[in-house]
Amino acid sequence: MQVKATLRQVPLDLSAAWAIARKDMIIYYLRPNIIVSGILFPLFMFLAFAIGTIGGSSPPAGGSSEIAQLGALIPGLLAITVLFSASSIEPVSIPIERRMKTFDRLISAPISLQALVLGESISGTLYSVAIAIIPLVIGVLFFGNLILAPGALLLVLFLSSLCFSSMGTLVASYPTENVGEVMSILNLIRFPLIFLSGVFIPLSSLPGWGQDVALFSPLTYTSDLIRFGYNGASHISPFLDILVLVVFTIAFQLFGNYLYRKFNE
Amino acid sequence: MTVPAIEVQNLSKRYGQIQALGGVSFSIPEGEIFGYLGPNGAGKTTTIRILTGITQPTGGTASIFGHDIITETIESRRHMGIVHETSNVYDDLTAWQNLIFTAELYHVEKAGRNEWARELLKTFDLLERKDDLAHGFSKGMKRRLTLAMGLMNHPRLLFLDEPTSGLDVQSNLIIRRVIRELAGEGVTVFLTTHNIEEANLTCDRVAIIDHGRIAAIDSPERLKKTIQSVQSVEVGFDRQAPDIRDGLCDMPSVNEIRKEGDKIRFFTEDPSAVLPAIIAYAEREHLKVLSLTTYGPSLEDVFIRLTGLDTGNGGKSQCK
Repeated sequence: MQVKATLRQVPLDLSAAWAIARKDMIIYYLRPNIIVSGILFPLFMFLAFAIGTIGGSSPPAGGSSEIAQLGALIPGLLAITVLFSASSIEPVSIPIERRMKTFDRLISAPISLQALVLGESISGTLYSVAIAIIPLVIGVLFFGNLILAPGALLLVLFLSSLCFSSMGTLVASYPTENVGEVMSILNLIRFPLIFLSGVFIPLSSLPGWGQDVALFSPLTYTSDLIRFGYNGASHISPFLDILVLVVFTIAFQLFGNYLYRKFNE
Repeated sequence: MTVPAIEVQNLSKRYGQIQALGGVSFSIPEGEIFGYLGPNGAGKTTTIRILTGITQPTGGTASIFGHDIITETIESRRHMGIVHETSNVYDDLTAWQNLIFTAELYHVEKAGRNEWARELLKTFDLLERKDDLAHGFSKGMKRRLTLAMGLMNHPRLLFLDEPTSGLDVQSNLIIRRVIRELAGEGVTVFLTTHNIEEANLTCDRVAIIDHGRIAAIDSPERLKKTIQSVQSVEVGFDRQAPDIRDGLCDMPSVNEIRKEGDKIRFFTEDPSAVLPAIIAYAEREHLKVLSLTTYGPSLEDVFIRLTGLDTGNGGKSQCK
């Protein structure tokens, strides 16, 4: 009986999750300032790394090897873009909705909390995929990046976006109306991930302990799978990358569901 | 036997050391308009949050149309519309988008959905503004939109938390008319309000809650009968009366005399004994009686008596 009721609820929850995602897109993600900052973020990141790369390179400026060096930054940039764009909006929108009491609408509707968590994550995912296309296209058009496994690249963009937007939704479960409180928790998680995940330093170049720690970061698998998408070669098996990202996503979703329930009590 | 719209048994809620609800029980049959009155912090919002499945109780049970709110939360919510105390509309969505989003959250069938949304906007006098962002709406318009959103899923049970608090006359009239119409259609209404006269005029029964416990629960008229000692006679003279203490304060049946505006109000247990004394007093002082009205106890009197609140009604006692 209970199982039957749960199964009957699944399509209703999916439809509600999609409604929440569309609502979030209209209210938060499609605002001009959010789109512009989403576009500018990877561009500025790229410029920062480009200046560092050009400054440290020995060949004369403007050479073809320099362009290749810049192009080699794109996979790492793509990983960071996905991490930041997917996880940034939920920790802002959810505390705002708590303050405006519109969050009460969501938690008192005839939907499961999982539908709420999923809906919030879907909007972040779509936004992140759209933003990540920018460095990807720049890499192909201006730096001659070759993409040897485009299917894997698209898959990792989508899967990682869902994973990190689920992480952002999970962190936003912290019961506060103050955006700053949630963002500070999120940044405590995000910044260490960048340095521990082989984004700029290949995993194979990390010391043994670094490689061990990197295994606990979902960004490691994102970064590795992105490199596979570009080069057709990876440090970890691409199938393992996909599997671990799926496991992280499910864990973030379920833990998010648990925390929203717990904090509501 | 019909299943009650709401059945609450010994419901309690504790936040750390604070006992917000201490064993509340009541049953509301389908179609009843039930008022839930109490001072701030009495436990009204906590009760609504538990009944709508937002908060879990620490003890007791609650069910909506026979569905346990804890174990069958989603099923319970399908039957209810909720109008929260705050007008929590999405400012960055239009009135239309707010309604359609609510319909999607409540799985309202697509067939007829747009027509119903249009009907609600018309009912709440918002149809001309349907494509405007709610951001630009007045407080009354947002309140009306909130109520329209609460009705989007054709609820059998409607929770109304302070629906008319601080609203303009137009919004007040529209909302009260809609509540009356809903009652006519058999919708159960759970109404919390600070406006006791509103509860008196609207509700079939009221519960008065104080310090997390139900102090009384009955129809407004029956509740008033429990405090017959708080009756009063209000008289208006053609000119300022001389010191009324000389003539009337020594009457044994008068408990208190208050000057209220240009009238004088005599609180008594026996209005029939006071009336001749007032007439005699007017003749003696050559005053003309312009108005003379007797009042039974009001629901507000019951509320004040049961919650022990100080009246502080602005009148000035002339005897004590």
